[in-house]
Amino acid sequence: MTSIVTAEGLSKTFQVKVRDPGLRGAVRALFRPRYRDVLAVRDVTFRIEPGEIVAFLGPNGAGKTTTLKMLAGLLYPTSGRVEAAGFVPWTGGPPFKRRIALVLGNRQQLVWDLPPEETFLLNRAIYDIPEVDYRARLAELVTLLELGDVLQKPVRQLSLGERMKCELVASLLHRPPLLFLDEPTLGLDVTAQEAIRRFLIEYRDRHGATVLLTSHYMQDVTALASRVLMINRGRLLYDGALDVLVARIARTKRIELALGGDGGDGHRVTAEALAAFGEVKSFHFPNAVLEVRREDAPATSARLLAAFPVADLSIEDPPIEEVIRLAFARGVEEEQ
Amino acid sequence: MIKRYAALIRNAWLVDLQYRASIVLWLLWGVTEPAIALGIWWAIAGDGSVAGYARADFARYFFAVMLINQLTIAWDSWYLDRWIREGELNYRLARPLHPAHEAVAENIAYKARTASVILVVWLLVAAAWPAVRLPLDPGRWALTLVAVLLAAAMRFFISFTTGLLAFWTTRATAIMELHAGVSLFLAGRIAPLALLPPAVAGVAGALWFRSMLAFPVDLLTGAVHGADAIVRGLASQVVWLGIWIVAYRIAWSRGIRKYGAVGG
Repeated sequence: MTSIVTAEGLSKTFQVKVRDPGLRGAVRALFRPRYRDVLAVRDVTFRIEPGEIVAFLGPNGAGKTTTLKMLAGLLYPTSGRVEAAGFVPWTGGPPFKRRIALVLGNRQQLVWDLPPEETFLLNRAIYDIPEVDYRARLAELVTLLELGDVLQKPVRQLSLGERMKCELVASLLHRPPLLFLDEPTLGLDVTAQEAIRRFLIEYRDRHGATVLLTSHYMQDVTALASRVLMINRGRLLYDGALDVLVARIARTKRIELALGGDGGDGHRVTAEALAAFGEVKSFHFPNAVLEVRREDAPATSARLLAAFPVADLSIEDPPIEEVIRLAFARGVEEEQ
Repeated sequence: MIKRYAALIRNAWLVDLQYRASIVLWLLWGVTEPAIALGIWWAIAGDGSVAGYARADFARYFFAVMLINQLTIAWDSWYLDRWIREGELNYRLARPLHPAHEAVAENIAYKARTASVILVVWLLVAAAWPAVRLPLDPGRWALTLVAVLLAAAMRFFISFTTGLLAFWTTRATAIMELHAGVSLFLAGRIAPLALLPPAVAGVAGALWFRSMLAFPVDLLTGAVHGADAIVRGLASQVVWLGIWIVAYRIAWSRGIRKYGAVGG
């Protein structure tokens, strides 16, 4: 299978004007401006196959969005090579742009003062979508996103969640095979976030679209992405499945226990008793959470089952947020 | 492409209809400046004339300024500046339509609505006041139409190109304000160029300012006459339009490489 996105040695350097604080700094900057190079993306290489949903992970300013914008042809890279949907993005022109969608969580294309349907009609004209296709696709998207009666309300009267759903409709009417989504669930409530996640998976399954997204919400990543690209300070730290990353970073596992009754002898299991088996992360009888070394988890579980009346036991990875935080704090490489 | 323009113009008008009050305000703005200038020259001319302009000549001149300024004015530098600084250019760059087309469509929408109102006002005033009537001369009107189209295209490229300076500086609109201030005199908005000191009028003619407004106005009122003068005026418009198109192309191709795609 040929890759739908190829990035090789992709780098982007921004020149940022620096000035000292205060009026003196402002005047000095006026006459003798100084610039500093900011290496936003450094030598990033990866490939993405059709139908994949891939998430960029990284703190603010890591270079996720800059990378996404280079792939979408908005930014010219300082060096490196990109091919997306069969084109070099910044020279692909209209044929390239018909094959992509770009959704920006904090910049909307919907015309603020008009109902969303007017923006859809505009995009029908801009993308030359035949009337029959337009009707069918609009009906499909409206059903999948449960938009119903909002199409005729002015955009300014819509909720944030409704607006993002309409943004998705506007961006997908031309049925692009490659989607770039920058923070598509930014600021949305849990219900709206889930609706958008469900939609993206359904849309990919139906139409085989490839999705690249950035998000600050780990739930987006765990629910959607089979693969993550972890970026920090412009460098690609990790490229692969999320669970492999977790196994590599997390040195511990969590054993969650639901303890049985007091055994009929009046002795309840205490936190002190559990402490002999691992680090007690929480204890509210009858529930307890123990943290143990990853490789010890099966043996410790067996010993716990033998030692205490246990109603239920499960072995979990630590919360994903914690793993990611650790990964950025330590860097992924040293864990390999 | 016609379908796309129709859709863009339709949306621009739909947005306008949401803000009926602002249409009236913009229209008042468009009428006030030439009306004040006319009032001043009316008083100065009295029963005599200034540099060959009597009261009726001033009236015709400023009615023509009112109409032709609305037909040729371009606000694009303000839009461009915002698109670039606030990242609104991002989704426009992701569409298979150059952002300049959206700007041109906006211009057509704006000009069609303001100029049509001014034209109606002019016709009503002319019915009651013979001074502002124009001689019936279809040939001259046709030539004026050509000159107006050239001026509108040129002012569009001036405004769009100046707006593109936002790729480099946060002061693009200040540069446009400066240009607007200079054109108040050099383009003939405040007085016919014939009334300016010859040196100043010469600068206006050598640069693009006369082509922006004063030439099509003078063409319509009959102040420019003789095939020679008309051809020279049109040629100057064509040359300056060409120069501004080249400037636009350079600014766009360089600026877009420098674009930081601010924000989302």
